[in-house]
Amino acid sequence: MQQVDRRVFVKKMAISAAVLAAVSMFPGIIFAEEQEQNIPKGDLEWKKAPCRFCGVGCGLLIGISKNKAVAVKGDPKSEVNKGLCCVKGYHSVMALYGKDRLTKPLVKKNGIYVETSMKEALDLVASKMKGTIKSHGKDSVAIYGSGQWSIADGYIASKLFKGCIGTNNIEANARLCMASAVTGFMTSFGADEPMGCYEDIDHANAYILWGNNMAEMHPVLFSRMLDQRLKRNAKIVDFATRTTRTSMAADKSILFKPQTDLAVANAICYEIIKNGWMNKNFVAKHCKFNAGKTNIGYGLTDDFKFKDEPKQIDFASYKKFLEDYTPEKVEKYSGVSARDIKYMASIYGDPNKKVVSFWCMGPNQHTRGTWMNNLIYNIHLLTGKISSPGNSPFSLTGQPSACGTAREVGTFTHKLPKGLVTNEKDRAFAAKIWGVPVENIPDKPTHHTVSMFRALDRGEIKFMWIQVTNPMVTMPNLKRYRNGAEKEGRFIVVSDVYPTPTTDVADVILPSAMWIEKTGLFGNSERRTQFWEQMVTPPGEAMDDGMQLLEVAKRLGYGKYFPYSKDKFVEEVYTEYTKHHAGKKHEMAPLEVLKKESGMIWPFVEGKPTKWRFNSKYDPACETEGFHFYGNEDGRATIWQRPYEPAAESPDDEYPFWLNTGRVVEHWHSGSMTRRISVLHKAMPNSYVELNPEEAKKMGIKNKDKVKLTTRRGSIVMLASVNERGIPPKGQVFVPFFDEHFLINEITLDSYCPISNEPDYKKCAVKVEKV
Amino acid sequence: MKQLKIIGLVVLLMIAAVIIVGRSISATYERTTLEAENNTKLPILESEIGAFKVTNEALGYMNIIDNKKSKLMSEYYSNRAYHGAPPTIPHEVDERNMGENSCLKCHQNGGYVDKYKAYAPIVPHPDMVNCRQCHVAVKTSKVFKESNWENINKIKVPYESNNALVTSPPVIPHQLEMHENCLSCHAGPNVSKEIRVTHPERINCRQCHVINNKETIDIGEFVRKPRLNN
Amino acid sequence: MPIKSYIAHPTEGRRNELIMKLKEFSSCNITPATNQEIVIVVTDTFSNEEDLALHEKLINLPELKHLTLVSGFSDEEIIN
Repeated sequence: MQQVDRRVFVKKMAISAAVLAAVSMFPGIIFAEEQEQNIPKGDLEWKKAPCRFCGVGCGLLIGISKNKAVAVKGDPKSEVNKGLCCVKGYHSVMALYGKDRLTKPLVKKNGIYVETSMKEALDLVASKMKGTIKSHGKDSVAIYGSGQWSIADGYIASKLFKGCIGTNNIEANARLCMASAVTGFMTSFGADEPMGCYEDIDHANAYILWGNNMAEMHPVLFSRMLDQRLKRNAKIVDFATRTTRTSMAADKSILFKPQTDLAVANAICYEIIKNGWMNKNFVAKHCKFNAGKTNIGYGLTDDFKFKDEPKQIDFASYKKFLEDYTPEKVEKYSGVSARDIKYMASIYGDPNKKVVSFWCMGPNQHTRGTWMNNLIYNIHLLTGKISSPGNSPFSLTGQPSACGTAREVGTFTHKLPKGLVTNEKDRAFAAKIWGVPVENIPDKPTHHTVSMFRALDRGEIKFMWIQVTNPMVTMPNLKRYRNGAEKEGRFIVVSDVYPTPTTDVADVILPSAMWIEKTGLFGNSERRTQFWEQMVTPPGEAMDDGMQLLEVAKRLGYGKYFPYSKDKFVEEVYTEYTKHHAGKKHEMAPLEVLKKESGMIWPFVEGKPTKWRFNSKYDPACETEGFHFYGNEDGRATIWQRPYEPAAESPDDEYPFWLNTGRVVEHWHSGSMTRRISVLHKAMPNSYVELNPEEAKKMGIKNKDKVKLTTRRGSIVMLASVNERGIPPKGQVFVPFFDEHFLINEITLDSYCPISNEPDYKKCAVKVEKV
Repeated sequence: MKQLKIIGLVVLLMIAAVIIVGRSISATYERTTLEAENNTKLPILESEIGAFKVTNEALGYMNIIDNKKSKLMSEYYSNRAYHGAPPTIPHEVDERNMGENSCLKCHQNGGYVDKYKAYAPIVPHPDMVNCRQCHVAVKTSKVFKESNWENINKIKVPYESNNALVTSPPVIPHQLEMHENCLSCHAGPNVSKEIRVTHPERINCRQCHVINNKETIDIGEFVRKPRLNN
Repeated sequence: MPIKSYIAHPTEGRRNELIMKLKEFSSCNITPATNQEIVIVVTDTFSNEEDLALHEKLINLPELKHLTLVSGFSDEEIIN
């Protein structure tokens, strides 16, 4: 008996040796069959879906039993997560079954919510919209969605508001998350979204993480990096403002002072040029140099306006500009030693190393977010480490369809599914596919997110419909915008699955069907579009967000523009939508492919995904040999001269600390779903303020003591965390924003990047006192 | 005892060749090595760093085979008073020895110790070097007087009900203090086979396994508190 | 009793045929890669002679372009 066991074991060992060898020889390889043998099957029906939570877009298999989702496993066929999930993904289906799930529409009457039927609630929403438009104009109604909208939801919303009603008052909370990534891509390459894909992890020799706590925020990708380190000795460098789980796992942790990442990035470029590490051939053939406006402001007043004026410059003046950023000069204010700056530059500069830069909210939620994105691209462009396997500047996203819906469908005030509202040709193209008169689409953008909530506060916007997002937790300088929403004469409709601080300000609450209770499509950070079909019935009268919009469109008299069937509207909408992106540069995979595969990367040309764009070896849209940055008319990528400028608000004598906000591995964003998952709630029951241990000691603050945080916007009392999940350096504190009982955004600052209009949640000045 | 002998090992000549060629290219290139130095100035997060320790052994741990000699949980509890109590030392020790330079020789990285014909367990907290402060030797098997003490704080294995769903990763049923290094008790040749992890190579344990006893009493489900108007 | 593992590279476009062929050998276990043209083959034979003969058969398959040995294990006592 034992002998048989041993033979089986030796065989397993032989397979694992071969798998290990194959993994190091063929990056990106997957052995799904081998993995499937090792996971429990059970007596369940398994169906595939992308994860509901973050932008990594893991493939999940959902176990269904008697119209109930009861189990989750990683989809071994998914090239994203290769069978592994994170703790949120594994427990994701539990988010469907919270006791306080909204199942009936609620209408506020004399301050009290009264249950009603879906039909009546939708009638009310439509008549309120109609009435508001009639008396205050088209631009007095607005819709605010998110990167959690499925592609169909976002598409219907955009078509209804821009194409039918005729207002550009459509925004998504993706503005708060990756607008700077978009403007970064647009200004550097003229085309949005990363050029590479997650497979870059399997090829790279080094990963540089820019202000990105990946071990908690993108754990599945982080695990892929750890795996490559184990098997191929790849290195991880954590460049951050505080010490985290990621720093502990990294080969090297480097801390910088908030906002000085701008200077350090320039110093890296300086070193690269100085040491002759610049890829001269690549730069001469494929790049150009631009400078934009400086001292661009922070968007703190309602009348703030900004327009960049790019000027082409030559290499010599760019080189001259960088002389202000020698490692020795930058060392003085960045807190990063010249040695560490040179160390980072040497990794990028080494011609034998393939380098991936990862970033997410650090460079994006930044009053110079667009600049920061530009600067990271500069490093990759100067060294030519871009658009090839393992060489990748990789901007990550936080929402499941931030790319797929917000960015690709274009649910922003200035965007259309393809192109901009300001471009006549783009408007005509969209109108033709939408089947609406081109005059319907206004040619001027109205409000970006912060501006939209300011307009609501001022009363220019009177009706706002909020779907799949929780702005009354996530807006910076929250009190102003909550007061605005609660003012007399405002009508707020909220579609959600649970009561939240946002439903608290609603006049009508519409219960929504979530995730696998409907059919949908998400698009993740690596341009992968994923389809799932409805697996369980939604509770009570809960309805698909897209269907809610269609029902209201019908009531507003726009039914003829939405000629979809009731059962298949998601599929019909997607097929219509893909027409916007036809062509080699953005072709989307057809439904029959998405139904079969665990997602597909666009451009999907002649039956094949394009894994690395702008490189003629992989991208059929390239018109020249080698690299072709076809997003820009001249085919060249832009290296930007972007200086260091201070933050909107820095610590001073009265408010001596930096306040930084962010996330934890257990909870997803505002926590309205993950906190209903008992495993996650018990692991992380409440938010806290992380203090530097030495400073805490000096102030006499121990772990779990009450601490009062005060900024110019107000104050909040919460529990101290000392030596727990993270350690901020002296002069900084950190607060996770998931907890609606400790609304940290009541005291954050609503300054934003003037180019992307994305707020900076990472920097404002705060006073810390023991209570 | 049938001895299994490995006659061939993983041959990855191709990869080796690529690495060697890669290294020899551009000998003139002035290079700062990628090997990161330990920066002692930066803070260390004890609760977080543990999971990433001894992970260089993780690939080797994948191929550990269970046999009759594998340790059982009953043995694990045989030399500690309750879960979380410091285990006693089951072998002879030099009375004057503090620990740092002797215990860690075998217990820092584990490995086979010929003297005791056993694999040394790996200490999950190698930075605490006054070992004998908590770990004492057993000099007699007799007791002074009988006791009513019962070791009831055992974590039963397989631990039931710490999976929320059939397929979801179990939560961590114990405190992490001084046990931050997961692999030292859940992988390697000297761990109890009931709690040996099937996937030691995944390293970032707390990506999937979270603790559930941050509070000493069950904190229950999430309940919304109404907002106080200010 | 040798147990050996190989990485098999199929002749261009003949992955599926190769898998079919390999399945016919009772002493071969195969694990095809999901997304690349690679098949892992584990052979389990009773003697060195049999192992050699099988290897000969494998490398003569027209569907097989290249076969790389990764690891080999043998239980000495059983061979003796």
